[in-house]
Amino acid sequence: MATTDTAPTGGEKRRHGRFSLSNGAYRVVLIVGAGIFAALVAWFLYSIVNQARPVFSALGVSWIFQPTWNPNLHEFGLLPFILGTIETTAIAMVLAVPIGLGTALSLAYLVPARVKVVLGSAVELLAAVPSVVYGLWGVVALAPLWREYVEPFLTSVLGWTGLFNGPNEGVGLLLAGTILFIMVLPTMVAISRDVLAVVPREQVEGAMALGATRWQVLRKVVLPDARTGLLGAFTLATGRALGETVAVALVIGNSNYIAHSLKSPAATLPSLIINNFGEASGTELAALFGAGLVLLVIGLGVNSIARVLVRGKTGAAGGATSVAVA
Amino acid sequence: MSTHTEVFPPVHESSTTPAAPRSRRTGRALVLGVLSAGVLLAACSSSSTPATTTTTAPGSATTSPNGGGAAYLAADLKAPAGTLAGSGSTFVQPFFTKAFYTYSSKNQGVQINYQGVGSGAGITAFEAGTVNFAASDVPMAAADLAKVPASSGPVVQIPDILGGVTLSYDLPGVTKRLKLDGPTIAGIFSGTIKTWNASQIAALNPGVTLPSNAIVPEVRADSSGTTYIFSDYLTSAAPGVWTLGASKTINWPASAVATPKNAGVAGSIKSTPYSIGYVELNYAVENQFTYAAVKNAAGVFVVPSTATVAADAAQKATVTPTSFSIVNQGGATSYPISGYSWAILLQKQTSESTGATLVKVLDWTTQTGGGQSLATALDYVPLPPAVQTYARTQLLTVTGPSGTALLTK
Amino acid sequence: MSVLTFDPSGDPILERRRQIQSIAQASLGRRKAYSAVALGICWVFLVLAIIPLVAVIVYTFAKGIVAWNATFFTQVTKPEGIPDGGVANALVGTVIIGAVATAVTIPLGLLGGLFLAESDGRVASGIRFTADLMTGVPSILMGIFGYIALVKAFGYSGLIGAFAIGMIMLPIIMRACETAIRGVPGHLNEAGLALGARRFMIARRVILPAALPGIITGVLLAIARGVGETAPLLFTIFGNQYMQWNPTKPMDALPLVIYNNSSQPYPDLLQIAWGAALLLMAMVLVLSIGSRIVAARLQRERR
Repeated sequence: MATTDTAPTGGEKRRHGRFSLSNGAYRVVLIVGAGIFAALVAWFLYSIVNQARPVFSALGVSWIFQPTWNPNLHEFGLLPFILGTIETTAIAMVLAVPIGLGTALSLAYLVPARVKVVLGSAVELLAAVPSVVYGLWGVVALAPLWREYVEPFLTSVLGWTGLFNGPNEGVGLLLAGTILFIMVLPTMVAISRDVLAVVPREQVEGAMALGATRWQVLRKVVLPDARTGLLGAFTLATGRALGETVAVALVIGNSNYIAHSLKSPAATLPSLIINNFGEASGTELAALFGAGLVLLVIGLGVNSIARVLVRGKTGAAGGATSVAVA
Repeated sequence: MSTHTEVFPPVHESSTTPAAPRSRRTGRALVLGVLSAGVLLAACSSSSTPATTTTTAPGSATTSPNGGGAAYLAADLKAPAGTLAGSGSTFVQPFFTKAFYTYSSKNQGVQINYQGVGSGAGITAFEAGTVNFAASDVPMAAADLAKVPASSGPVVQIPDILGGVTLSYDLPGVTKRLKLDGPTIAGIFSGTIKTWNASQIAALNPGVTLPSNAIVPEVRADSSGTTYIFSDYLTSAAPGVWTLGASKTINWPASAVATPKNAGVAGSIKSTPYSIGYVELNYAVENQFTYAAVKNAAGVFVVPSTATVAADAAQKATVTPTSFSIVNQGGATSYPISGYSWAILLQKQTSESTGATLVKVLDWTTQTGGGQSLATALDYVPLPPAVQTYARTQLLTVTGPSGTALLTK
Repeated sequence: MSVLTFDPSGDPILERRRQIQSIAQASLGRRKAYSAVALGICWVFLVLAIIPLVAVIVYTFAKGIVAWNATFFTQVTKPEGIPDGGVANALVGTVIIGAVATAVTIPLGLLGGLFLAESDGRVASGIRFTADLMTGVPSILMGIFGYIALVKAFGYSGLIGAFAIGMIMLPIIMRACETAIRGVPGHLNEAGLALGARRFMIARRVILPAALPGIITGVLLAIARGVGETAPLLFTIFGNQYMQWNPTKPMDALPLVIYNNSSQPYPDLLQIAWGAALLLMAMVLVLSIGSRIVAARLQRERR
């Protein structure tokens, strides 16, 4: 629908075709597009909250922190699952921080330029592997290894800490945490590398001119400068680990109790939902939505902190990469 | 210092104009791709092609079902074309999928999409009205029936197969079949018996060298009818020892590894040494598991098989949705952990043709000469004749929206 | 560290420099060793990070390639015990659901991205922040949202699965579009305005073509993410052993096949799971590598 306009030459406008919008109409279309997105998000949030409402009106708020989940007895305590979520994420991040940071440092400063592109892309491609493939690989390939070699080894070396009691079953907190570590590694590495790469060159070169060794440059100049961004990378990776569902559900053993050892089967909020949603109705369904709400609050909280920390530390390039890998 | 390939490179003040022709070609290709995808979607129609419909004369519901057996089966195979969706028990899943596959190959217009998600999820889906029928190893109780909307009308539940629940285990180094009884099994799955060489197990198995490894109980993570049959047996056979009740979901001990579905538990047993779990007989046989001989009410240690499951079922001639439990019946050759699986549907179907397809498929599945003849090869037990009669009588009460019975000869 | 003393007899600056150099010289050995160890650890960590990648891809390839034959790609899933099972129905489902989700989220994402790129107000930054947060929402929540919002009303269908996946893809595409559009040099926009063109024409004829590589990159990454998701499909598409081209009916999809067969004890079903895993991984990797190639082309154009 061509509209009349104060264009200098009507002939030129016709060459470009008849369909055009006035500035006002164009603006309206854009607002409608963004508005649809906002409406979808609002519908999503409303649905979760609305479906969770019955359990909150029946049981208050303290039910979330009870230690027993037993729908037959109307007990919907989420504490084992909150702890399971925190514990698996903690195992993942304990491994991801040193290895991710070391990899990012290597990729940003140590690796020769041509290898850097290949290796960097290789690590980022890890992010593209679907979660369910990690789960399948974890339960078929890694669980026997964990049961036969890793868990006995760790028990013999670290058993004195009291964290490695119980039989070696393969599936459990340890395996779930390890799979999570592999899954958040690309996020950690990609964003850390972007953050480390934008440290001002003058500072790095200045430190080298003063005779500092390479490690001294990294430790005294690069890392402190990138501190906030690295914290953002850490938080973003944590946010990703908290929400991981399918891979964790396949390797965690699905025990509804608070785990007493790193080798025990456990459960997380996402694995609770995925295993029980099909059969839940009534208050149990509302409790599962309540678990989803708790997960949403924790995840949104962590991700908000992460976004605030990362924004501006990596520039447009890093910000977009974080969208891609997170 | 870094020159890595960035996904979105930083903004450059560039004096070159963007390569508009190349981008325009890419843009055209993109639009063309999206358009052709849309055309492809629009052109593709539904996969089911309508077959010839049967003439559904109002059925004479009073004819004797057994007398008209062959005629019924012939009519069943002429169900109107359509798609059915059912979900629920994984106990019955191997039988159902084979039976429905066989039926579909005889009547190409009918597709029966059955998903094994666990009895509890099947019942919930049925209550929500998202499936045509549900399958569950325990019939819907009054509390479940109350969740069906009143406007949907009454619910019909028919037994569809008979099966046994084995105690399958993976015990390296022990070749002799273990003997277990109710209290011992209850102890293992309550967490009070923790190692394989515990005194209760050793007492039942003299002469067998049992390892000292910890027992890994393998249980269901989802709401399961198999769990119900198993816990029903434990409640009946070990009343003092088993305190966790009979239900589709049990509060298992902390050392138990839980996996969804019968197949999941079977997979977990297969890959975990020193584990023991409860799976339906078909899964145990297909995977060449070792399973225990269980002590029945007559004091005999019985190995699960189609014969012993049938013997147990023979002790209770009539089963109804309110009187359905056949665990721990008497009889020297009975296997005590046996149960029927049930198909659940609405008595008043909302669609004449879908309802007719549903009842005819279920009738074919539950009768000898139809689906039941596939049972023994899959290590299930066919329904006894009296139970088949009961199933057909129930199916004859199912009507379409107009009120006429849908199951006709 | 030695204390610097002031020697008034010589040039203080030269003296100072000599003292610093001697201190540095004395500690050089220690500092170099320390650095070598620390850098060595970094290299070890790099190798440790590469090992899982290689392990996953090699293992999946080895297990999955065995399953790839004509039957695998042309036959539908069969029950256990019946030979000649395949993933044709799941592959069709994944492609159709992905196509529907993409077809809907590309225009919406473009509009949203244009809006964000052209606005700087509080509403825009709020929407931008929301989009960033929504990219990190656990996908299981999208699955239960899709169920409760749509399945109860309309029954299971591939469209609802596409909706749940689209909800995950949309913020990614929006932000990618915004970043790509913001990356277009400002003087192009100004030139268009100077010629008197309206904003819509500038966007359509100048900005979008220039931003297209970045947009395509973002779209490909979003599709890679979308087709790999399992949880949104679990409660929305139900699964289907028959071939189903109609997205308004229940369908099957590759992630669902993998998830359902991953715990199976039967070797032939497990092999189907590995074959499907390799297929899905290959699709996702091709999309990701494709997006990287487009991004590299963008860099070459700019430099």
